[in-house]
This record gives sequence, structure tokens and C-alpha cells, in this order.
Amino acid sequence: MSAPLIVGVLVAAGVFLLLRPGQLRLVLGFVLLGHAVNVVLLAAGGLRRREAAVDGAGPETVDPLPQAFVLTAIVITFGITIHLLALLRRRRRGRGQRKPEEEEA
Amino acid sequence: MILAAVLAWQLLLAGVVPALTRWLGRDAGYLLAIGYLIGAGLLLTRLPVILDDRAVTVSWPWLPSVGVAAGLRMDALSLVFALLALGVGAFIMAYCPRYLSARGRHTDVYVTMTLFAGAMLGLVLADDLLVLFVFWELTSVLSFVLIGQDGRSAARGPATRALLVTSAGGLALLAAVVVLAGSLGTTDLDRILAEPGLLATAPTVAAGALVLLAAFTKSAQVPFHFWLPGAMVAITPVSAYLHAATMVKAGIYLLMRFSALFGGRWAWDVTLIGVGLLTAIVGALLALRQHDLKALLAYSTVSQLGLLVGVIGVGTPASDAAAILYTIAHALFKATLFMLVGIIDHQAGSRDLRELSGLRRVMPVTVALTALAAMSMAGLPPTIGFVGKEAIFEALTDVHGVAWLGWTAAGLGVLASVLTFAYAARLVYGLLAGPIRQRGLHEPAWSFLAPAAFAAVTATVLGPAVAVLSPLVERAASDARPQGQAPYLAFWHGFTVALGLSALTVVLGTLLAGYRRRTDRLFAALPTAPPFAGAVERGRQALVRFGALVARPARAAEPGPYLARPLLAVVLLAAVAAMLAGPLPAPRGDPSRPGDWLVLALLAVTVAGLLTTRSALAAVALTGVVGLLLSAWFLTAGAPDVALTLMLVEVLTAVVVMLALRGRPGRLAAPGRPPGVAGGALLALLVGAAAAAGTAALTGRREPSPASRWYLREAEPATGGDNVVNTILVDFRALDTLGEAVVLAVVAVGLVALLRGPARPPAGGAAGPTAVPEPGTAAPPPGPDQPAAGRAGAEPTSGERHRPDPVLALAYRALAPVMLGASAVLFLRGHQETGGGFIGALLAGTAVGLGQLAHPGGAPLLGRLRAVPLLTTGLLLALAVGLAPMAAGRAFLTPIKVEAPGPLPGSVTSSLVFDLGVYLMVLALIVAAVRRLDTAPSGRVPGPVPEGVR
Repeated sequence: MSAPLIVGVLVAAGVFLLLRPGQLRLVLGFVLLGHAVNVVLLAAGGLRRREAAVDGAGPETVDPLPQAFVLTAIVITFGITIHLLALLRRRRRGRGQRKPEEEEA
Repeated sequence: MILAAVLAWQLLLAGVVPALTRWLGRDAGYLLAIGYLIGAGLLLTRLPVILDDRAVTVSWPWLPSVGVAAGLRMDALSLVFALLALGVGAFIMAYCPRYLSARGRHTDVYVTMTLFAGAMLGLVLADDLLVLFVFWELTSVLSFVLIGQDGRSAARGPATRALLVTSAGGLALLAAVVVLAGSLGTTDLDRILAEPGLLATAPTVAAGALVLLAAFTKSAQVPFHFWLPGAMVAITPVSAYLHAATMVKAGIYLLMRFSALFGGRWAWDVTLIGVGLLTAIVGALLALRQHDLKALLAYSTVSQLGLLVGVIGVGTPASDAAAILYTIAHALFKATLFMLVGIIDHQAGSRDLRELSGLRRVMPVTVALTALAAMSMAGLPPTIGFVGKEAIFEALTDVHGVAWLGWTAAGLGVLASVLTFAYAARLVYGLLAGPIRQRGLHEPAWSFLAPAAFAAVTATVLGPAVAVLSPLVERAASDARPQGQAPYLAFWHGFTVALGLSALTVVLGTLLAGYRRRTDRLFAALPTAPPFAGAVERGRQALVRFGALVARPARAAEPGPYLARPLLAVVLLAAVAAMLAGPLPAPRGDPSRPGDWLVLALLAVTVAGLLTTRSALAAVALTGVVGLLLSAWFLTAGAPDVALTLMLVEVLTAVVVMLALRGRPGRLAAPGRPPGVAGGALLALLVGAAAAAGTAALTGRREPSPASRWYLREAEPATGGDNVVNTILVDFRALDTLGEAVVLAVVAVGLVALLRGPARPPAGGAAGPTAVPEPGTAAPPPGPDQPAAGRAGAEPTSGERHRPDPVLALAYRALAPVMLGASAVLFLRGHQETGGGFIGALLAGTAVGLGQLAHPGGAPLLGRLRAVPLLTTGLLLALAVGLAPMAAGRAFLTPIKVEAPGPLPGSVTSSLVFDLGVYLMVLALIVAAVRRLDTAPSGRVPGPVPEGVR
């Protein structure tokens, strides 16, 4: 039951951060949600067998397919994070037209 | 093939328009007219085949999975409408050069009109329901564009209204297509129409009603007729072409085409006759009240379209022939009238009949031509309009069934014609009689008049010479409904009932026109705007307001208000799923290990800190800790590649965020007022619970999937790689990986685009030996070793900012080579053990990030890496590896194994090169991120808000 709880904690924290003001919180909330999805993907492959899928397959070898998904998902999440940061910077640059309280991270 | 060729020709014409207009200006229309005629000529080469009762077809697979072929088919009915589209189009194109102003946007007009002609051709040539639908929608959209083209705000409402009405009809047509395809299992129009008996009753009724709706909206039948007069805000060539001659005829074509399927059924026939004749009378009544010539012609078009619809409903061979003949006649004389009204408007500056009295004194040729075309409209001999109207009367008296029905229909037809005669007479009389009201008017240039004159003469001569059209019209009638020979068309049939009705029309029409004053008062009492139009307009506005209301939360400054709804939807979805889900398979034991609980506990503590801290630095660090905890968990879960990747990504994310936040306020924004925080927390808890419940319910309840077992079994023998995860990425699912890498490339390009320009003020970008400005990345700031004096115009502070941090610089110098070496090793061994392109690139990227942190002005060596060249090289490499096997006839991205020559052991597969491409693209993203997001050397606008003020 640990994986669902990990997912629950991450999602709750991520959503809470998304709902609070401030763009840095938005970015961090997004990162947490990305983690949660990765855990879900891995859990979907089953967590009872936990031997790495390197050097031959035994009865305890994990399902490699979700790992391949998660691997790309991590990198894509990284890309999204960078994009969000770029948007954050871009908004800061146009701050001349904005109210000062929106300036905070 | 000829059909596809003509369509392609039309597309080509549209394509060369910009070149033509650049060369000839507005006179490009003449060349386009010739182009249209060439298209028509190409179609006419097949006339003998078609008169021989064979159709010209061409077809190629389009959506083979659903059995849809992009089929075109031309029989006589299609040919008639295609020739109208191209022939009238040629007239209009030849008319445009003198009508359009020399400095207008003629390119747009020409391109759109030519595309429209192509869409119209496709519509009448389509042999597949889906193809028909696509072209049908294209005509609606292009009509919208043409109505609203000049961008006047006055045109926006009518254009939108026209689009709403016709696209509602388009939806009806789509629904009809779905019904027909669903119940017959094919979208092949020819096959559907060939055997009307196959369709069961219920789908027939549904599809028939939907087709009627589509045709009525397109052809402006009551109660949808209001869009057509509104569309008259378009320029005159557009009105003449789309809203008189062709597009509104698409509905007529649809009805004729589907007559084979639905005709002869009581409901279909009665609806057509009833709605058609009602429209004919309403339209004519409204036309009679107009003073604006264009509005008069618009309502007249509504009326005559109604007459056509009514005649199609009669459903005899004679009526089909009459409908086709009158379609031709109407296209000819109505386009002529529009062109002439355009000329009058152009010369006299007015279209109001009351201001145009006595025009014949100054513009005798124009007025004479108008009178000629109006005779055709009124159905007077010797014009084609006369022959057409005779044929219609003949057909109407012949309605199936009860005798009184025929006489009623004929009576209503005569009534519409009387009104038509009256407004035609009024039009001509207004131009002939009375004193001239304007000075300085004169005939237009002959080149302006020529197209209209030619069309007017054609419409007149074709009356006596109607026999020329006879073979084609007869053939077309039997194509519409194969049920017998249509009567031979002739100018003179002897003293028939129809001739009597024509005479009656003339007499009554003359009386009506004569007692103008009295009848005007009568008609003035009729409601002006059709009530339906107002209702539609109010409905549209209400809809727009409703949309604004729904969208209001999305316009908030913070994400909370508009995220609330999707998040609540997640909770709702989980609740519904929990209620509706059946029994789930039992979980296969609890897979948790003691370490998992430890991770969970640490995670909870870290997250709690993350949620409560107000320090940006702490938040970033705690997020990194969350990632590291998870990567530890991944390691225990048998996913070393994932763990390593995540760890590196966490480090990199922290580096990049720190770079982006350098010199920023160190505090996070205030969390907001307590009720908001509590609400957010509640929602977050609900969503978290939903996610946890979903994960618990939907995972860990089955054995490993067949795919999983297959990969574990086959990976090593098939690829020679021991690391199954890596072989999945670079061998089995390499296309996915390529897609992911391209996403990263897009992010990198987006970064470059988003943070272009003022990110680097001139101060930082001053050219120096180490600062080579380069497209794609911003000009890097001057190197650290460069004397401050060399930076012309640099802010005093920026020199300090560029100074390397001694500790970090030392770390960089010591660690970077190690990191790069490890990166290379991890990359090279990826196929066999933990590692690979992603991981290797992330490690190298970490070195780049460290370099940037240590040397804000640009790190030695690694600071010279540029994102765009890396990106291009990586992408080209990956694509080259993908394409190489195709040369040998194998699938895209098939791995190739090359035995290493000579002393080197083992073998090399092309997937390693592919992985190198991925490596370079990921590295490019990191380089772009590190460079672009680093705020330190940007030399921000002076006077940044001091920290801690807020």
C-alpha cells in the first residue's frame, strides 16, 4: 500500500502548490505532479518483482516497459519545468506593466 | 484522372495568383478567367462519354481503415454544375479587374474566389459522402471569408450569421452522412444512390430530414433565408458568384443528387414543394419592397431558389429537366444582373432605385443590358428565362397524385412569377423613367461592360437556341433520377397550358407593376425583418454572453480559479468510478517493502516543509530532496536507470532554478488569506485521496503483461543489449524516443524564442574575443578574463556579477572532467548496463550547469557549447540512423549491427548512434536552459525592486 500513499502525498502537495499564488510554487507543484505520475506508471507494472532488468530475466525481474515510459517522462517533465521557468522569466521581464505584488516568485 | 487534374489545376491557379497580381495587378483576373475556361474545356472533353450515359470516375484510397476512398465521379448532373461554377466563374473573373480598385487587396479576393471555385467543383464531383461533406464545408468557410474579407465591422455580423446558418446545415449534412454510412456500411455515393431500396425506413426518414436541412440552409429556404440578403455586404463579384450563381446552388445540387434516394416519398416531395413555393412567394414579396438593387436581387435569388426547390419536389423527368434548365438560366441572368448593378453602383455611386431614375439617358447600353437580363428574370421571350419558366409551369401542373395539388402548385408558382415580373418591371422602369438626378454620369469602359454584356447576350440567345442544351439537360435529369426520358427542350411548344400561364403571369404582373403605389402601401405593412432572423441573432448573443460567463474563471490572474473545476472533476470522476466500478481482481499480495515506508515517512516530512516554507531557496531545495527520495525508492524498486535519471534531473532542476532565480526576491509570495488556504488544502486533499485510491484500485492486481514477458525474453537475443530498459528506448520503441527527443528540441527552441532579445542588453552583448554572438543563443556575456574596460557601456554592477565564484570555479575545474568522463562511460555502456543517452547527457549537462554557476560570464570550454548546433546535429544523427535502413528497404529506425573490424572486440549497432543523437538533443536542451535562464549577466533594468520590501 506504500505506492498509493506516495502518490497521494505527492498529488495533494502538488495540487496545493498549484492553487497557491506565486509562479515558483506553480513550477514546483508541477514537478511534484510529474513525480506522482512516474510512481503511478511504475506501480502499474507491479511492485512485487524488484530485480533490475539487466543481465538476463529471472522470476523476480521487474517489468521493464513502465521504466522506459518513466525514463522518458522524467526527461519530458524536466523539459516542461524548464519551459515554465522560461515563462516565469519572460513574465518578469514585462513587469513594467504589472502590479508589483505579482512580481514575487 | 481528368477530374483530379481539373481540381489540381484550380488549386494551381490559386497558388499562382500572388505571382500574377504582382505582375499584372488587378488585371490578373483576365488570366484567371482564361484559366477557368481551360478547366471547363478539360471537363468538356469528356462530354461525349457522358452523353453516352457513362460517368467519368477516379478514386484513390483515402482512409482505408474505414473504407473511405477519395472518389470523384462526373455524370451529366455534375457536369452541368461544374460548368456553371467554372463558366460563371470565368465571367466574374473577367469582371473583377475593372470592378476592384487598383490599389485594393485583389490578391486575397482572387485567391479566395479561385479556391472557392475549386471547392465548388469538388462538391459537385464528389463520389463519396465524406468528400462531399468536406467540400461542402469548404464552400461555407470560404463564403464566410469572402463576405467578411474587407474587414469592415459592418460585414462581421452578416458574415458570422451566414457562417452560422450554413455551418449548422453542414452539421446536418455530417449527421446525414453518419446515418447513411452507419446503416449502409459504405460512404460510396454512387453505390448508395444506385440501390435506394437497401435503406430501411427509419434511417431514410432521419437522413432525408437532415439532407433537407442542409440543403435548405445552403440554398436560403424559409425560414433560413435571412442570411442571404445579409451576405450582400460582400463585394459584388462575390455576391454574383457565390450568392447567386454557385454556392447557393449547392443545396439545389444536393437535393437533385439525393432525389434518387429519397424522391417519390410523400414526405420528401411535399416538403420540397411546400417549402420551395413558400420561399418563392416570400422572397418575391420581400424583393418587391426593396429599393436597394442588390437587396432586391438577393431576395429575388431567395425566391428563385425556392421555385427550384419546389420543382425538384415534383419528381417527374420533366420537372428534373426543368429544374436543371432553370438552374442554368438563373445562374446566367442573375450573375449578369449582379454584374450590371455593380457597374451602376460603381459609376453612379448608388444602388438605390430612387436615386437612379432616368439612368438610360446617360448609360443607355448598361440599362439596355439590364433590361435584357431582367426580361430573362421575369420569364419573357425570347430569353432562356422564358424557356425555363415554361418548363417549370409545365412541371408544376404535373404533380403526382391528386389533380388539385398540381393546380395549387402551379397557382403558387404563377403567383411567385407574377411578383417576380413585378419587381423586374420595377427595376427596369426605375432606370428608364423619370428625370436624371446626377450630373456627370457616363457609360463605363467597354472592358467593364464586356463580361456582363456577353453573359446577357448568352442568356438571351440560349432561349431560341435551347436545343443546344437539350442533350446535356436530359442526360442530367436522368442522372438525377433514372426514371424515364425527359421531354426534349424547345423554345416553342405550341399553345400549351404553360404558355397560357406565362401569358397570365405577364398580364397580372403588368397590372401589379402598374398599380405600384397602391400595392406598395400594402406590402409596407408586412413585417420588415423576418422574425426568425431576430431570434437567431438574440440567441447568438445570448450564447456569446453565456460563453463569457463560463470563461470568466479562466481570466483570473492566478491559476487557482480555473484549476478548481478540472480538479473537482478529478474528484468527481473518482467518486463516480468508485460507485460504478464492479468488483476488482484481488491484489496479488502487498508489494510494499520496509524501505518503502521509510521513504514515505521522509517524503511526508519533506513535503510538509515544502508546503509551509516561504523561502524560495528552501522550497527549491526541498523539492530536490523529494526527487532524491523518489530516486532512492526507484532504486529499491528495481529501476536503476530511472533512479539515476531522476537523480540527475533533480540536480539539474535545482541548478537551473537557482540560475533562473539568481538576483530574485528570495521569498515566495504570501500564501493568501486563511479561507483560501483552507479551501485549497481541502481540494488538494481530495484530489490526493482520489489519486491514491485510483492507484490502489488499479495497480498491482495482475501478473506481468505479455509485453513485459516478451521484452524480457527477446531483448537480449534480438538486440545484443543486456539492459532491457535501454533496448526498449533505442531499439524497440526508438520512434517513441525520437518523438520525445523532438519534444525536448521544441522546448529548447521555445526557450530560445521566449528569451530572445532584451534578455541580453547591449552591455552584455558587446563583442569580445570570447563572446561571439551567435544566432540561436543569445550573445554570451563577455568572458571573465576580459578587462572591464573592454565592455563598452557596461553597467558598473555587471562587472561584479561576471566575476567567477572561487569555490565553485575550483569545483568546476576538478569535477567537470570527471563528470564528462563518467558521462561518456555511462553513455557507451548504456546498451548493456545502467546508463544510456538520457543519463549520459544529463550528467554532462550537470557539468555545464556547474560551469555556468561558477562562471556567470561563460565557463571555459563547456561555455562554448551552443544549443542550436547541438540540437541540429543530434536530430540529423537520429534521423540519419532512422533513414539508413530504409535505403535497404527495411522499416524506419531498424537497428543495423556492424561487426567491429580488426582488433576491436564485439560489435556496434546503429542504435548506439541513435542514442548519441538523443544524447546531443538532451544536452542541447540543458545548454539552452542554463544559458537562457541564467539571470545574472542579463544586466536587468536598473533599479530592481529591493529584496524584502514585500
